[in-house]
Amino acid sequence: MSLAVDPSTRPSRRRRLPTGVRAKLFAYALVAPVVLLIIGLVAYPFFFAIYVSFTDQVVGSVGKFIGFANFVYLSKSATFTAAIWNTVIIVLVSDGLKLLIGLGLALLVHQAIPGRGIFRSFLMLPWAMPAFVAFLTWRVLYQPIGGGINLVLTGTGIYPHVVDWLGQRQTAMGSVIAASVWRGFPFWFISILAALQSVPKDLYEAAHIDGANAWRRFWVVTVPGIRQVVIVTTLLSSIWTANGFEHVWLLTAGGPSDATMVFPVLAYFGMQTQRVGEAAAVSVAMLPILAILVIFATSLMMRDED
Amino acid sequence: MTTLTATIPLAKSKAGQRLRRRFLIGRLLSYAALVIAVLLVLFPIYWMIITSLKLPREIYRVPSLWPKTFTLDNYEKILSDGQFLIAIRNSLIVSFTVTIISVIISSFAAYSMVRFRYRFRGFVGRLILFAYLTPGSLLFIPLSIIMAQLRLGNSLFGLIMVYLTFSLPLSTWLLQGYFKGVPREVEEQGLIDGLSRIGVLFRIVLPLSAPGIAAVAIFTFTGAWNELLLALVLITSESQRTAPLALNYLITSDVLPWGPLMAGAVISSLPLMILYFVAQRFMVAGLADGSVKG
Repeated sequence: MSLAVDPSTRPSRRRRLPTGVRAKLFAYALVAPVVLLIIGLVAYPFFFAIYVSFTDQVVGSVGKFIGFANFVYLSKSATFTAAIWNTVIIVLVSDGLKLLIGLGLALLVHQAIPGRGIFRSFLMLPWAMPAFVAFLTWRVLYQPIGGGINLVLTGTGIYPHVVDWLGQRQTAMGSVIAASVWRGFPFWFISILAALQSVPKDLYEAAHIDGANAWRRFWVVTVPGIRQVVIVTTLLSSIWTANGFEHVWLLTAGGPSDATMVFPVLAYFGMQTQRVGEAAAVSVAMLPILAILVIFATSLMMRDED
Repeated sequence: MTTLTATIPLAKSKAGQRLRRRFLIGRLLSYAALVIAVLLVLFPIYWMIITSLKLPREIYRVPSLWPKTFTLDNYEKILSDGQFLIAIRNSLIVSFTVTIISVIISSFAAYSMVRFRYRFRGFVGRLILFAYLTPGSLLFIPLSIIMAQLRLGNSLFGLIMVYLTFSLPLSTWLLQGYFKGVPREVEEQGLIDGLSRIGVLFRIVLPLSAPGIAAVAIFTFTGAWNELLLALVLITSESQRTAPLALNYLITSDVLPWGPLMAGAVISSLPLMILYFVAQRFMVAGLADGSVKG
């Protein structure tokens, strides 16, 4: 780059590109690697997945175009229907709970109470744990033999019978949701806590002078102050929960008899049995709903930026 | 809410006493709720650690909250055949490489988008956000086919490539936020002092954003360290397995070895837990800025 150049041979100012253009070229050069890699590793595979979902591709063959046959097949499959419903239930229930728990704990820690820093650190722990470690641990916790939950429930007499939490239809979904809430609420907790800390204090004082009680102050000051963050967090968390694989895969692998089957696990099973076209169709079928969430989230996050 | 109550001068009137009692009850309830929440958070972690230190008979036959004998047998078992250590090593290689590549080329892109005005800037910003939110559950299928075609399947190099799909958008998005905090005047001063554009980036912008870069590096490392689905479809041979993959295959075998499994879980979460406790300040700021996937 910086070769020693004799001043006399240095190109004259006039022959160089104008600084505006040079700055632009420099800017493009800086951004190019990321843009090219994203086009190659995200955009191209994205459209490739959509294309594959319209073929009967299996591993080792290219497959031919078969129109909507994969989607027609899926719509008649009970497992696929179960996967859609379970995904919707997990997103609604677990993200609803994460919001309530995250908001509640953020409000508690936001108070000027001694020890709040320690509470905050402890409450963030599940988020610091790798997801695979968290869900493997919950798998052990739920075991009829060797599991901590049964031990505590029978030991304290809260529920005297040993339950196979992950092994029966009635409890499997609730168990998956509980584990996913445990691992996921800290993200909400920290996001909301940061938003609370950015609400100006004098707004509360003004509301107080105007005679608003605590409940009223919550609705007229706190809620508008954190609304934006809560909306973005809801969208992001819903997208991640809907596409979550680990929680179901490591706890139940979709069982028992599809009681906890979700679409990422179903797509993975499709890949395992080498029916690539069908597997892709499972994911692509969820795309319309996800696209709405993603576009909504993107426009909100871009608006934040400007 | 109690902050306000606390600021009101507490007269020794009846109203004052009532207020004071309400304040104390509020405090007490707050602490009770927080302590219960912390216990619920800690119990699974406690169970993971204690199970990893138990003898098989105390896991299966006479389960207890506090084992009579502590043992490191489980750690010995999972470490002895060497496979798990190889998996940890693979995870370290992949996570470090992904982090270094992402931080470097993402800071270029983020700097370009923050400091320069050009035609496709808005488009690039949108592309990065879309990429960030494009789910892995959709991408894992085409990526495994493409990597197989490129003969990069079943290799750590291939894994590093596909992990860039989530690390690049995340790092670029976060770094943009940090770079915005660097005052333009400082950069202009650098240019006047004879630094080149790239010199400004390396000598001024990057050092001033060091806490942000640390946070981005930790998030990227964590993302790569935790990834399971892409590794499952890409890696087929035992020698290329990462830590999550190695533990995943422990539970798909017929006997479920809870003790060694939890020992492996403890080993693979220790580095991250320590990292988070040390760097919590950066992490919280980073999370608040860019909404980072947990």
